[in-house]
Amino acid sequence: MRPARTLALLISIIMLAACASTPPAPTEGLQSARQAIANAERADAGHYAPGDLGEARTKLASANAAVEEEKMIVAQRLADESRASAELAAARTGAAKAIAVNDDMKRSTATLIEEMKRNSGEK
Amino acid sequence: MNTIPLFVKPGRLLIVVAAAAALLAGCAAAPVKPEGAAQARSKLTQLQADPDLASRAPIAIEEADRAVRIAETPQPDVALTMHRIYMAERKVDIARALAETRFAEDQRGALSQQRDNARLDARTREADAAKKQAAMAMAENARQKAVMDQARDAADAARLAAASSEAKSAQMQREIAALQAKVTDRGLVLTLGDVLFASGKAALQSGASGNLNKLVAFLNKYPERSVAIEGYTDSVGSEEYNQALSQRRAEAVRSYLVGQGIGPQRLIASGMGESSPIAPNDSAAGRQQNRRVEMIIENPMTASSQ
Repeated sequence: MRPARTLALLISIIMLAACASTPPAPTEGLQSARQAIANAERADAGHYAPGDLGEARTKLASANAAVEEEKMIVAQRLADESRASAELAAARTGAAKAIAVNDDMKRSTATLIEEMKRNSGEK
Repeated sequence: MNTIPLFVKPGRLLIVVAAAAALLAGCAAAPVKPEGAAQARSKLTQLQADPDLASRAPIAIEEADRAVRIAETPQPDVALTMHRIYMAERKVDIARALAETRFAEDQRGALSQQRDNARLDARTREADAAKKQAAMAMAENARQKAVMDQARDAADAARLAAASSEAKSAQMQREIAALQAKVTDRGLVLTLGDVLFASGKAALQSGASGNLNKLVAFLNKYPERSVAIEGYTDSVGSEEYNQALSQRRAEAVRSYLVGQGIGPQRLIASGMGESSPIAPNDSAAGRQQNRRVEMIIENPMTASSQ
């Protein structure tokens, strides 16, 4: 009797250790990733940070596929990575735009100075 | 048979289960920092060392720091480590991008000031240039006005001179008209008639002085003029006689004029006798006309007339 019970206990513990219980689908994570991608698109990340935005989309697709295959941990991680990539796309877009505004100002100033030099040279 | 009691001992059961679990997990993880995390750490350190960026995204940098530490934590799940490294790297990059954005915004104030200064400078120069141009235009106008004034003054002077010379010329014409002289190619011709001499005589009678005084006045006014005094007779009597008479009459006129103060070098007296009659000699009236003295006020000498 005791050996059989012990064996059963052992097998169930091993099985428990071997395969963790399947977590639910990472719906929140997927939603967050979708949201982050949409935000980035609105900010025109497709123009300023297309690489990061593309990566976010790819990872979201992979996350959805993983959910289909019930690989939920993988899906959760992919969803998080997708969101991080989308957030990076948005941040880089913000930086690019801010720098562009500054460059524009620098250009105007330089043009004005150039014209002044030219005009005073003519005189 | 001997192995079965091994499973029965409770203490050893746990050890076996743990070993089996570890084997089943299939992870040969060693307790060392994952290599991939070093890159994330290095990027974070660079960002934290950048004086322009380090202070400009403190929350994001803090988050990145946490993520890097998590990534650095050794643990057996390779996939999890890869995931953590990915997340850490993204967080560092996000922190950098946010800091750069903030930095650009902070610079904007100064750039905007520079641009406004340049604009102000440019406008000031434009204004100065415009003033300068306006001044130059005014100076040019003044110059042109001066030129025009000068031209106008010159025109006025010329007009005055012309008017004055016209007036003089008109006056001369009046004087010539008053002389009752005829204008001919030789000059102005004044004719003294026969009544001014007694018949056959050369002495001037008193009536002559009126005409002759007008001539004197004219000659005084125009001292450059000379007079040729020519006596003429009719055909009655001999040619020699008439020649002599006409000569004496011409000289009588000359003497009178000299007596009135006209320079003798201006006066030439000649007798022409019967020649050049101005009327037919077969009537008394004609003969009377021919008995005359003509004074020709010669035109002023010009270099070309010599």
